[in-house]
Order: sequence, then C-alpha cells, then structure tokens
Amino acid sequence: MNPVIPVIPWVNLLPLIVVVVGAVTVLLWDTFFPSRDRSFIITLTLATLAGAGAATLLAVSAPSAGGAASLGGMYLFDRFTAFLFVLILLASFISSLIAGAQASLEEMPAGEYFSLILFATSGMMLMVATRNLLMVFIGLEILSLSLYVLAGYLRSRLEGNEAALKYFLLGAFASGFLLFGMAMIYGATGSVDLLEIAARLSANPPSRGPAFMLGMGFIVVGLGFKVAAVPFNMWTPDVYEGSPTAAAAFMSVGPKAAAFAAFFRIVLATGDFTGEKFTTVLWVLAVLTMTTGNAVAIWQSNIKRMLAYSSIAHAGYILVALVAMRGGGPLAAGGFLYYMLVYAFMNLGAFCVVVAAGAGGAGSSESPRIEDYAGMGFTRPALAAAMAIFMVSLAGLPPMGGFVAKFYVFASAIKAGYVWLAVVAVLNSVAAAYYYLRLVVVMYMHEPPEGGDRTDSPPVLGVGTYAFTALLLAVIGTLGLGIFPGAALEFAMRSPVLLN
Amino acid sequence: MSEYSLISWMVFLPLAGGLALIFVGDSDEAGRRRVRLLSMAVSLAAFFVSAAVYVSFRENFAGMQFIERAEWIPRFGISYHVGLDGISLPLILLTTFLMPIAILFSWKDVEKRVRLYHMAFLFLETGMLGVFVALDFFLFYVFWEGMLIPMYMIIGVWGGANRIYAAIKFFLYTMAGSVLMLVAIMWLYFAAGLETFDILAYMEQPVQPWLQGWLFAAFALSFAIKVPVFPFHTWLPDAHVEAPTAGSVILAGVLLKMGTYGLMRLAMPLFPTAAREFAVFIMVLAVIGIIYGALVAMVQDDVKKLVAYSSVSHLGFVVLGLFSFNLLGASGSVLQMVNHGVSTGALFLLVGMIYSRRHTRMIADFGGIARVMPVFSVFFVIAALSSIGLPGLNGFVGEFTILAGVFNRSPAFAVAAASGVVLAAVYMLWMLQRVLFNGEPSGPNLGLRDLGAREWCVLIPMVALMFGLGLYPKPILSKIEPSARAWLQQVNRRVISVEAAPKIRALDLAARPRGEGRP
Repeated sequence: MNPVIPVIPWVNLLPLIVVVVGAVTVLLWDTFFPSRDRSFIITLTLATLAGAGAATLLAVSAPSAGGAASLGGMYLFDRFTAFLFVLILLASFISSLIAGAQASLEEMPAGEYFSLILFATSGMMLMVATRNLLMVFIGLEILSLSLYVLAGYLRSRLEGNEAALKYFLLGAFASGFLLFGMAMIYGATGSVDLLEIAARLSANPPSRGPAFMLGMGFIVVGLGFKVAAVPFNMWTPDVYEGSPTAAAAFMSVGPKAAAFAAFFRIVLATGDFTGEKFTTVLWVLAVLTMTTGNAVAIWQSNIKRMLAYSSIAHAGYILVALVAMRGGGPLAAGGFLYYMLVYAFMNLGAFCVVVAAGAGGAGSSESPRIEDYAGMGFTRPALAAAMAIFMVSLAGLPPMGGFVAKFYVFASAIKAGYVWLAVVAVLNSVAAAYYYLRLVVVMYMHEPPEGGDRTDSPPVLGVGTYAFTALLLAVIGTLGLGIFPGAALEFAMRSPVLLN
Repeated sequence: MSEYSLISWMVFLPLAGGLALIFVGDSDEAGRRRVRLLSMAVSLAAFFVSAAVYVSFRENFAGMQFIERAEWIPRFGISYHVGLDGISLPLILLTTFLMPIAILFSWKDVEKRVRLYHMAFLFLETGMLGVFVALDFFLFYVFWEGMLIPMYMIIGVWGGANRIYAAIKFFLYTMAGSVLMLVAIMWLYFAAGLETFDILAYMEQPVQPWLQGWLFAAFALSFAIKVPVFPFHTWLPDAHVEAPTAGSVILAGVLLKMGTYGLMRLAMPLFPTAAREFAVFIMVLAVIGIIYGALVAMVQDDVKKLVAYSSVSHLGFVVLGLFSFNLLGASGSVLQMVNHGVSTGALFLLVGMIYSRRHTRMIADFGGIARVMPVFSVFFVIAALSSIGLPGLNGFVGEFTILAGVFNRSPAFAVAAASGVVLAAVYMLWMLQRVLFNGEPSGPNLGLRDLGAREWCVLIPMVALMFGLGLYPKPILSKIEPSARAWLQQVNRRVISVEAAPKIRALDLAARPRGEGRP
C-alpha cells in the first residue's frame, strides 16, 4: 500500500490558521512588548477575528479542490461549518469588544485574556469543522481549558476562584463522560468517524447494541453539560456569576453553538439507529431544560444569574430543534443556525448593557442587581432602550429577531409532528416573558434613585467606543434579523448539516 | 387606488412619527409642546389618509380593496400583504378617529415622560391598524404581538397605583393566548401544505374537521382572551382601572375589538365547521358575559370599574351576533364594535375628566355634580344613554340589529341577551343618578370647574358621531353589508368531503383523525 500524501485544503483551513496565528501573535506581543495600554492588543484581536471571518467567506465562495471533507474526514468545511464559523467569530468579536469595555479587566494583563479568547475560538471552530469524534473532543478541550482560565481571570475575586474551580472540576468530569462515550461507540462500531460509524451501524445491526446506546448516553451527558441542559446545568449560574461579565458573555454563545453543532452531526449520523427511545431522551431533556431554566430565572435578583438561567432555557429551545431534526430536516438545522445567530446578538447585547451600566455607576458590572437599574429608562434612555430591545427579543416577541428565531425552531418541531412540544415551548416563552419584562418594569416603571430624570435630546448613550460598537452591532442584528429576516434565513436554510 | 399605497402610509405614518420623536427633547415645556404637536399632526395625518380610504372605498364590492403585496420571507411564503374590506374599514376609521382624541386628551393630562408616552401611543396605532389590514398570518401575528409592548408600557408607566401588576397581568394573559394561536398557525401551514402564509389562500381551503377543532380552539382562545369573553375577562378590570385615561380609551375602543375582529376575520371563516360546532358553547359564554358583566358593573363603587365591566357585557353582544351566523347578526356586530368604541371611549374620557379634578372615582364621593358642572353632565348623560342603547343614539342600532339576528337563530338566546340591555339601563342610570343628581354638591365638589375648551374639543366629535351613527347609520352600514354577506357565505360553507381536497393531509400525530367522516 502506497503512502497517501494528503491534499491539504489550504483555502478551507485559512480561517482556522488566521485565528491560531492571531492568538500566538497576541500572546507573544504582550510578552515582548508589555504595555499598560490595551488598545493595541484589542485591535489585534478584533482584526484577527475579522480577518478569519473574511477568510471564511473566501473559503465558501472559492472552495478548494477535493470537496467539503478533507484530511480523511478530520476536517469538514461545508456551508453548515461556514455559517457557524461566521457565527462564532462574530460572537467572539462582540465579546472582545465587551471585554474592552469592562473596566475591571483593565487591571489584568490583556495579552493573556485576549489570546485565550482566540484560542477558545479556534477550539470552537475545530469542534464544528469535523465529523471525527476525536477532533470534536480535542476542540472541546482547547475551548474548555481556555474557558476555565477565563472564568477565574479576576483572581482576586473570591467568586471568580469558586467559578473557575467549580467549572474545572465539573467540566473535567463531563469531558470524561464524553470521552468514555466516544470510546464505547468506537468499541461498538470500530470507528471515530461519524460517516463510517453511520455506515457500520447500517451494515451491521449487532453494532447497535447496548455498548453503542450506552456510548450515546454518555455523549448526551458530556455535550449536555457543555450546552447547559438540565440536569447537567448546575455549574452555569455560579460560573456566570463568578466570571468576569465579559467572559460570561463569551461563554454564553460560542461554546453553546459549537457543542450543539457537534450534537447535530452526531444525531444526524446515528439518528436512524438509536430509535424512538433516544428521541424520547432528547425531548425530555428539552422540556426539562426550558422549563427549569425559566422557572428558576423568575426568582433571580442578580442579572447575571438571571441571564445564566435564561441561557439554560434557550438551550432548551434549541434542543427542540434537535428533537425535530429527524422529521423536520433542513428546517430544524436551519432553525438552530438562525436561532444561534439571533441569540448571539441579543444575549451579547444584554451582557454588554450590564458592563456599560456598571461602568456608568448603575450597579456593579460584576454582580448587578435588578433593582440597580431602577429608572434607567429616564436616567440613561438610550442604554435602557437597548436593554429593552434585547429583553423583548429574548422573550421572543415581534418585531425582534428572537421572535423569528423561535418561530423557525418551533415550526420545525411542528413539521416533525411534535405539536405538543411546540405548545410546551411557547408556554415556556410566556413564563420567560415575565422575567425579561421585569427588567423593563424596573427600568421604566420604577423611579430612579435620586429622581434624576435626564432626558436629553438626542439621548446620550454615555458609554465608551468599545461598548458603543458592541451595542450598535447587537441592536442592528437583533432588529435587523427580526424585521428583514429573509436573507439570513435563506443562508441558514441552505446550510444543511451534512457529513460529507 | 392601491398605486398610492394608502394603507402603508396610514399604517406606517405613526411608526415614523414615533421614531422621529426620538429626536425631540422633552426636558422643558417647549419641548413637550413640540412632542405633543408632532404626535397630534401625525395622528391627524393618519386620520386623513384613512378618510381618503373611506372616500375612495368601492361599495358593493365584497372582496379586499387597496391591496398591497410584496415579498418578505420568500422561503416560507411570507409576504407583506395588506388590504381592507367592509369589515375592517369601520374599525380602521374608529382607530384613526380615537387616536387624535386620545392625544388631545393627554395634552394636559400627562406631564411625565411625555416623549415616551407619545411614542408608545404612535407605535400602538401602527400595531392596531396593522392588525386590521394584515392579510398574511405572519404579518398579522407580528402586529398582534408587537402591539402588546406599547400598551404594556402605557399601563405600566403612566397608570394608577397598581399599574405594574395590571400591566404584567394584561401582558401575560394576552401573550399566553396568542402563542397558542401561533402554534395553530404553523400547524395549519404544515397541514395544508400550501407553502404560504397568505390568509386569503386558506379561505378556500377545507381543513379536516378534527384538525379544525384544535385550530379553532387555539385561535378562539387567543381572541376570547382579548375580547374578553367570560371567563377570560379578569385582566380587563385591572388593566382598565389602572391605565391612564387615554390608554383606557384606546384599550376599550380599539384593542378589545381586535379580539372580535380576529374571531370574525380568522377563526370563524377559516374553520367554519368547528365554529358551528362550538357556536352554542360560545354563545352561552357570551350570554353569561353579558349578564355577569352587567351585574358586576351594577355593584361597583368605582365609576371606571363600572365602565370596564360594562365592556364585558357589551362585547358579549358582539360575540353573540357573530355566532348567530346570519346577516343581521354579523353586520350588527361590526357596527356594535364601532359603537362600543365611541360610547365607551367617551365614558372613559368623561371619567378621566372628573378624576383629574377630584382625584377620586368613587361614586360615593360625588353627588349633585350636575349643579356645578352642567355641561359635563349633559355629555355624561348622552354618553351613558348611547351606551345603554337609547333609540336615536348609536348604541341602539347595533344592539337592536344584533338581537334581531340572534332572535332569528334562537329566541332563547335573544331573550337572555335582551335582559343585558335592561341591566345596562339599571347600572348606568343608577350611576348617573348617584354621581350627577343625588343630593347637593358638597365639600370639594362645590368648587369643580366645568369643561374647558380642550375638553369640549375632545367630546364634541364623539357626541356628533353618537348622533350621526344613531340617526343615519347607512353610510357605514352600506359599506359593511357586502362584506358581511360574503363573510356569511364563507362561514356557512360546508366541507363536503375531505377527500375532495387531497392537498390537506393530517400530520402524524397522537391525536389521529378523531372526527373524520363527520360532515
């Protein structure tokens, strides 16, 4: 047998290469030219992410020879991957802006923070750009190790230490589950490549035995932990609360998208062989996740914890799309992509408001309480209006992007025949409206602390450049995806989840 | 006329005006004045556009007019598709008519957060008009839900003591109903397989009876909460009592009509078989609402609450008329929607006027007001009589037509409903007697000023409309009738056989064809 020299798909790899090179550059730059001024590091990070985004668009428009899969299935670059690349890069971009706006991070070395962001980004990209379970695991570990450090980045903060330790211990445990599941699937089918796993499962019925099912169960636990599905969600509120707000924002979108992408590919490969029972597991998870997330979020008084539980609930809505994948087809995967895109804008926007409000004196940006925002609609009208837009969108009301996203995902559930699951989901979004609107109530219906009405015209935002840019992006995204969803929806629909 | 895009101008002018308000400061009196003037100008402009629509409306034409259509989300067959017919036209006119009045009333009534207040009202107007003209499910739903937020703000920011509770209750009730409608819309979409959200396309399409039942239930629940039909009415007294006066006027005048309009435009013609099956049940609820609303209104000590409960009673008539499935009932219902908007709107304005003077609405705090405020009292009596349905005023025409229609279908229901008219006279006249006439004015009531110029301006058009519609309803009835006739044909059609419509297939569901085979 002749040694096969693999064809390296340079164009397809370019986005990943840009991010990794950028990460190393940021790290080294800060080592050799340390400076109090973070602006160069931040600019470098943003440029890297933007460059990787451009490279992704280039790779989509001019795919390199040899098709989507390359390097023996290790690297898979199709439209689904490309959509997620853009999404992840965008989320990292906005998260970096938020980090730039966060004052408490200014005391800490910038190079490490932003290179960790870039490394985590490369980990997420690896997770979505493969059909190989081991690559998923490697990507996940690159991501997770960066996140553990980011969680405890403010090392003088006690809550930060708690968050990092808790996240690390539970995360390591979950990784163990995931790896064990992969090992069992390898044992049952003799491959870690999803395409081959699917082929062997279909050719060889005994391979669908208990070992395989147990492996799938472990994978559900491992990925369920990463997407914060109930009952594997225990870390979420504490980690969100303890992490620097900018890092919590970062954790809430990209990693979720990456883990779900892997989840979709795995379910696509194995869905025909796992049977009804597995779907049952998934919908039970979906119902539990959204209901618990919403029910507990109602009782939170800390905005970061509320956003943490809200992110759990949103994971539940996305699980609905996963359940619908077998019957709903491209609608389900497209719904997931669109949902994540909208979620990136609205959720990062909400976190950015938390950071900006904290910098302006309304509550602390690290542990903001809901009451701290009393009367913000009149003391800082533009910032409050932005927050109201994000909250209304998170609640899933038109004309915001959140509505179209929910519409899309729930439609896929109905198409797949899960009308009752859609009913549970929409009733959940009514419950969720209660706590999202509570923030609106506090901002607009409670009096500001010192009666300091300031309704200048045009309303001033009163935030720095980074926060302003992030908020502008988030507001445009949230409104734009709600009012003119056509183009993005078309892209999402044309990016089916595939294995080859 | 559609080349002028009249409907789009009408719907989106208020939205544009509201957005323009962002750039008008309201920190000083001059700024607030500019905000009010701009809002007034915008709402009047919308009214004139709607008047132009009225003038160029083609009578004796049952279908949709002024249709505009543009692709929106082609992948799902969602389009920006608007148009109006004789059923929506009166409600559109009512909306654009009440809005300048609400803004004019707020001129002195609202001094706090003036800019946000007017933005909310203008956004609300866009939402309401959008609901009445939307011919696409998705578009309809966007307006239907989007309108909740401004109303929620209006109640929650400028309302009374218990405003936050009332605002949240209003919001969650309405939203809970409408999300189920959303699921029903999507279910219909996939079950019919028409690949479009165009409402008109579904009018021709028979739906399997068992599926109709579910879908009708979801739609009807959503609309019944909005109307509100007993027993879904509990949000209404809270919302009405806490809302600022202008908010109550719009809430009672227009928002409640969105519920009856939805029943008429969507729930009944889309699912006629189910509508007929549920008819008796809903009529019973409507009659309970009529009598219950009236009885509860009778024992209120708060004038505003009394008017609020009277709405539950009056809208029972509208629902009853719709479900009597005949021409009298249907056209009477449309007319009564307008009538109720005018007379109840006027009552809320009057209550607001006296509240702004005395800061109380308790009946017991008043008495003999007619001595000190004769003009106010005249207006109050006219509005109350119009609400009761005195011949010669607008309320009579609507209720009489409805009762005649109901009688044709079932005399028993007509008799039961007619008792609501009697009860209305009891609670209204009793309230008038206690507030205006009983005893001598005393204490703070002695110093009450009579109406000012602004208040005259607010009330004159309302009263003119009461007499106009009461004495000569033909201009509006003649526009309603052709559409009501067509609507009737639509709701009376029968699904002959499901096999005749191969496109409709049931989705794979646990609730497999239960009622299949039924006509």
